[in-house]
Formats: sequence, C-alpha cells, structure tokens
Amino acid sequence: MALEKIARNIPASLWNEASEKLVDIVLNSPNASKMPSDLAKTILYYWQRDQLATEVGLQRLLEAAMILEPEKTVSLMEELGLPEIVAMLRETSKQ
Amino acid sequence: MVEFGIEFVPRDLYWKTTFYAIQAEKIGFDYLWITDHFNNRNVYVSLTIISAYTERIKFGPGVTNPYLVHPVVTAQAVATLNEIAPGRVVCGLGVGDKTTLVMVNTEQTKPLATIQESARIIREISSGRALEMRGEIFRISGAKLNFKVTSPVPIFIGAQGPKMLALAAEIGDGVLINASHPRDVENAMKFIHEGVERAGKKPDELSISAYTSFSIASDYDKAFKSVVPVVAYIVAGSPEMILERHGISVELAGEIREAIVHDQWKEAFSYVDGNMVEAFSICGTPETCVEKIDKLVKVGVDQIVAGSPIGPNMRKSINTIATQVFPHFKK
Repeated sequence: MALEKIARNIPASLWNEASEKLVDIVLNSPNASKMPSDLAKTILYYWQRDQLATEVGLQRLLEAAMILEPEKTVSLMEELGLPEIVAMLRETSKQ
Repeated sequence: MVEFGIEFVPRDLYWKTTFYAIQAEKIGFDYLWITDHFNNRNVYVSLTIISAYTERIKFGPGVTNPYLVHPVVTAQAVATLNEIAPGRVVCGLGVGDKTTLVMVNTEQTKPLATIQESARIIREISSGRALEMRGEIFRISGAKLNFKVTSPVPIFIGAQGPKMLALAAEIGDGVLINASHPRDVENAMKFIHEGVERAGKKPDELSISAYTSFSIASDYDKAFKSVVPVVAYIVAGSPEMILERHGISVELAGEIREAIVHDQWKEAFSYVDGNMVEAFSICGTPETCVEKIDKLVKVGVDQIVAGSPIGPNMRKSINTIATQVFPHFKK
C-alpha cells in the first residue's frame, strides 16, 4: 500500500525517466538474486505490455529497486527532485 | 533483406534473460537463440518462459547437441514449444561445445553421421510421424509422439568444417555458420553450395546465418574487454585448420583450452589478443560492426546472429544495435 501511494506521487512527466532509471538499477544490481520471482514475473508482464512507465509499473519497479538497492533508489528520487518521495521511501524502509 | 538474430546464454537469472528477450523483440530482432550447455540454466525452460512473454520473435536452441540429449527428446521439446508458440520455433542443432562436453567425459564421435541421423529423427518425430530407423548411431523402432503436432519445426544446423557445412546445407532448413570473419564465411559458402546442389534445392530454400560472437559499444576498449572471455572459448574449441587460416598458434589455443578446463580464467583470457578478437568476433564501435556485417552480407548470409556477449552492458548494447546498426540493413 505504501509503495502504491509513493508511485502515485511521482509526476507523470517523470514516469519515463523514472522507469528507465529504475530498470537500470534493477538490471545492474549485484543483488539481483534477491528479486522475488513473482515480482520479477509481474515486472516482465508490464514490460511486455509497455506499462513500466505507468503508475502500476513504477510501483513494481520501486518495490524491486528497494529490495535490491534501497540507497540507490532513494538517491535516484533525490536526483529527480522528489524530496517527498525520498522521505516516504526512507519511512517505508524503516518499517 | 537480411534478418537479425540474437543469442543469450542463460547463465544469468531467468528474468534478466527474459527481459532482454522482450527488449530484443520490441526493437526488431527476428530470431532469438538460447544456448544449450549443461552448466547453464536449461535451454527449454528458458525458451518456455520467453515464449510466454513474447509474441512474434522466432526462437529456439542455439544449438542443442545429440551427445547429451537424445534427438527424440529434442523432438519432443521443440514440438511442445511449437504448441505453445505455433510457427515461431526453430531447432538449432550441432555437435556442441567441446570445452563443456569434455567436462562430462563426452566425445563428439562420428559427428557427420550423428548430426545426419539426429536431424532426421528430430524432423520426423517433431512432425508427428512414426519412425523406424536403423542408423549407424541411433536405432528407432516405431517411436512417435503421443500428441498431435501443429506444424513442422525448421532445423538449422550449426557447422564450421567443410563436410558439416555441406551436410547442413543438404539436410537442414538453415545453416548456422559458426564464424564471424568474412573470410571464414566466404570459404564456407563453397561447401554450402555443394550441399544445396546435392539436395537439389533452390538457393532461397536455405537460410544461411553467420553465427557470430558480438560486442558493440561506443568505446572500442570496452567492447574488446567484454568479448575476450567468449573469444577465449571459441579459440579453445576451434579446429586447427581455422586457427591456421587466421595465423593463430594451435599450441596457444591448446593452452587456452587447458586453462579453461581447469577454471584458470585469468590465465585463459590473458592469452586473447587483437588478432583472435578480429578473427572470431564482430567487435567494436557501431561503425566497425556495420562495416563487418556489410562484408558478411555481401558474401551471401541472410541472417546475422549477434551472439554473446552482445556488449559490455546488455540493455544498452541491444539498443545500440537497434539505433545504429539496423538502419543500415533493415527498412
């Protein structure tokens, strides 16, 4: 639920850039083996349908990126100029 | 018009390979080949999940071998895949990779008879027909699949030496020339034409692919570094005739092979030089790659397979192929 709210707060104008960079984080992570298989399959489903740069796609990418590379994901949101998202992600990762 | 294939080695997590497969389809690759080595993820499991997440790209093992997998099992596998993705499956068949077969004490004995009989078994069984065969290698007594098959699966045969090239052209629907250098491919075409004539085929009834090792990047050094491990394997498995054609020491190739078999990777890779990379890969900037592909197309291939590693960053390199190579060859 938290990630759904976070994804909803990413401006649509940044969906493409955010999804591209989250995909890079996930694909290039040395922690890739931590990706839950069901989450991987969901991401593949959205990728096949060109839906990664949507609210639901971003939610799944955020979930994956936070599992594999939480700090890099937070840094990405800082880079995109989204301090509220940064705060929400930090709050989520504390739980 | 030239078609493009891409090869993935399922050494990586399944979802990464599948991600890149989807990417390859989206940007316009025509074929997708998954390698078959016992020590990587299973080829047919990999192909099955890829088939579920793609819609158009043709795919198959690149290549399976009948020394580790009996051809009736290959027939079963490709016929089953063809049910999942009708008309999209191709079966790449070859003698396999010497370096990994040695690890399981398997020799590539009587390669011509083995491939000839295997191709016949795969074609007949995967087409739904019963087969009686008393071959030199395989004996089949009325074997038949218990399910209805949808359509035949084309068989593309991997080949490098003269006799296998001619055989592949004679009995296959496609030849996968295990070569990246125009000189090797031009040499191969003589024997392919022999096989086409022997079979009484029309030239356009046979697909001819250059199955290359490929590494593309805007920085040549990065492309080079990425391709070294693959070239090491190729040098280790190459016949003497091919090594000599490119001025590569047979003894040095032997040393690379020994190092690989004993997991001495750093040593094996340290032997790979610019001449070997030039001989056994399409490697470099987009301009360099386009130039070499152009030469391959001019000597008569109709499919270029971009084999591993593709480049230093898979996702970026696939996109580079789409944006900077395809426009030169595809409409």
